[in-house]
Amino acid sequence: MHFVTFILKNLTRRPTRTALTVLGLSVSVGSMIALLGISENFRDSMSDTFEKRGVDLVGVASGAADQLSSEVDEAIVDKVREMPEVAGVDAALVELSEMTLREPRDENDTPPSSQVLVQAWLPDNFGYDDLEIRAGRKLSADDAGQFQCMVGYKFSENNNKGVGDTITILRHKFTIVGVFKSFNLFENGCILTLLKEYQELSGRKQKVTGFSLRVKKTSPNPDAEVESVRQKILALTDKDGKPYRVSIERPQKYLDNAVHLKITKAMAWIVSFVALFIGVISMLNTMVMSVLERTQEIGILRAVGWPRGRIIRMVLGEALFLGMAAALVGAVGAIVITHLLAQSPKVNGFIEGGIAPWVVVQGFAITIVIGVLGGAYPAFRAARLLPTEAIRHD
Amino acid sequence: MIDGPATHLLFALNVCKTYPDGAVHALNGVTLGVHEAEHVAITGPSGCGKSTLLNLLGVLDRPDSGEVYFRGEALSTCRDLDRFRAQQIGFVFQSFFLLPTLTAKENVQVPMFEGLPRSARERAKKADELLELVGMAKRANHRPMQLSVGERQRIALARALANDPALLLADEPTGNLDSENAVRVLDLLTTLQKERRLALLVVTHSVEVAERADRVVRMKDGKVLDDGTATKLHQGQAMARG
Repeated sequence: MHFVTFILKNLTRRPTRTALTVLGLSVSVGSMIALLGISENFRDSMSDTFEKRGVDLVGVASGAADQLSSEVDEAIVDKVREMPEVAGVDAALVELSEMTLREPRDENDTPPSSQVLVQAWLPDNFGYDDLEIRAGRKLSADDAGQFQCMVGYKFSENNNKGVGDTITILRHKFTIVGVFKSFNLFENGCILTLLKEYQELSGRKQKVTGFSLRVKKTSPNPDAEVESVRQKILALTDKDGKPYRVSIERPQKYLDNAVHLKITKAMAWIVSFVALFIGVISMLNTMVMSVLERTQEIGILRAVGWPRGRIIRMVLGEALFLGMAAALVGAVGAIVITHLLAQSPKVNGFIEGGIAPWVVVQGFAITIVIGVLGGAYPAFRAARLLPTEAIRHD
Repeated sequence: MIDGPATHLLFALNVCKTYPDGAVHALNGVTLGVHEAEHVAITGPSGCGKSTLLNLLGVLDRPDSGEVYFRGEALSTCRDLDRFRAQQIGFVFQSFFLLPTLTAKENVQVPMFEGLPRSARERAKKADELLELVGMAKRANHRPMQLSVGERQRIALARALANDPALLLADEPTGNLDSENAVRVLDLLTTLQKERRLALLVVTHSVEVAERADRVVRMKDGKVLDDGTATKLHQGQAMARG
């Protein structure tokens, strides 16, 4: 018999209690893995987008918590585009807008409306280049003034809208000319239209929420070139000679400073911490009960020569096995749940199925810590038992 | 008769034990020696200190004063009493105390984690040999609840022999057995004691158990009343009866 066999046999003694403890703990661990996985997916999706599009610098209004609350004068985009060191500029007005999917049937009919993420792009944005067109075509400068749009494939699937269908945004009817798939999580669930007409509709003429750009790299030190362009943009002034209220950062720094990502991650950790605390209490309760029930047996083990250290290893081992079983169940549950959520129209492409392996590894590591924390007190309590008193215990 | 620690396997010298409330002197200056391969029975009324003495001799507890020696070495100076207990002493209890989740064979292996068999295979092999020795080889994969009380005590006996101890301590080993099973277990215990040249110290109320011993120690009120052969014990009892 191996020592591990002995530990496992102790766990199978009360199968219902063991199963319930694993289940309870797996909910805690699974919640943590799912929440952290989703928050990481947000960041990874944005990071991937910047990387795959070759973005060197990102500009938003200085002090803006996120791109949705940012507003930058479009004039700076034109000035940046004219810089000889700049290879390309993407500018966008991104906002949540009211949308209706059908026309009113009569004067008294009010079609149900919902919020949708609208991205209004310049027709020459380099972001169009990597959109995979699944139906129809891309927007072009020729579509200007015709209120036409493209939709992400998630939006199309969730709302059953395709090429030729219409959507009403800000009380204007837009015709879908293309359905696309992007490697950006959010773009797949959004409506993409042209910047100028959307600026007019939303009352934000000559304003964008942000821009990104590629820098021409010709020297052996591309970082220096990017930094030089960054400094030049920061030095730009408006027609009154005042500097623009704009923050220009490398994509990773922009993501590190993005308040909405920080809040998402902080919320995920707060909820995870509460869930994990409940997990520790659950583990503690189970192990204390288990040790109390086996007081006499522990006395026997001490009598036959088991040192305190082996008793501690036995109880901690049981807690660790419970934790690892819970981590396994929780990880599988978290992956399944995020996949199911990603399919749900309710989240409309804002959640990506799949969890980064390192988040799962993190979940396992934290569960081992839970196992040690939840098992430590009962283990030391068991080890402190005097053999003579423990054997007499009934 | 009592020479000293050097000539005994186990020697308790003037040991005293008072329980924490201070009201009961469980042992009051007991001196007792057990030689190698000697079979000693300790008898006496309930509460006379027999089990307390057994706990001190088995290093499950420490005396308040006095000293216990093993092969002439004072156990108070022993650094690892758990290892000492695992390798030198086997215990047999009245209530068997087998672990319910383990099979007979696994129960026998429990002390071996602190003994000489280092691998799981060695432990299993040793357990098979011991189960054969106590006539329980065919019941090796049964759990305690699937065994009769007599069988359980034989498994407990095999467990006590797991690390080839020099000393076997038995606390009322037949106390929970019917007369038929009691005789079987006693026969097995005495046979093994002689074959393996074990020192056997049995705490018992039973005359049948005591009279099999080479020596019988009678205790009363935490003290040794007399210490002699089983024959002497019988003579003493006969004289007392009148």
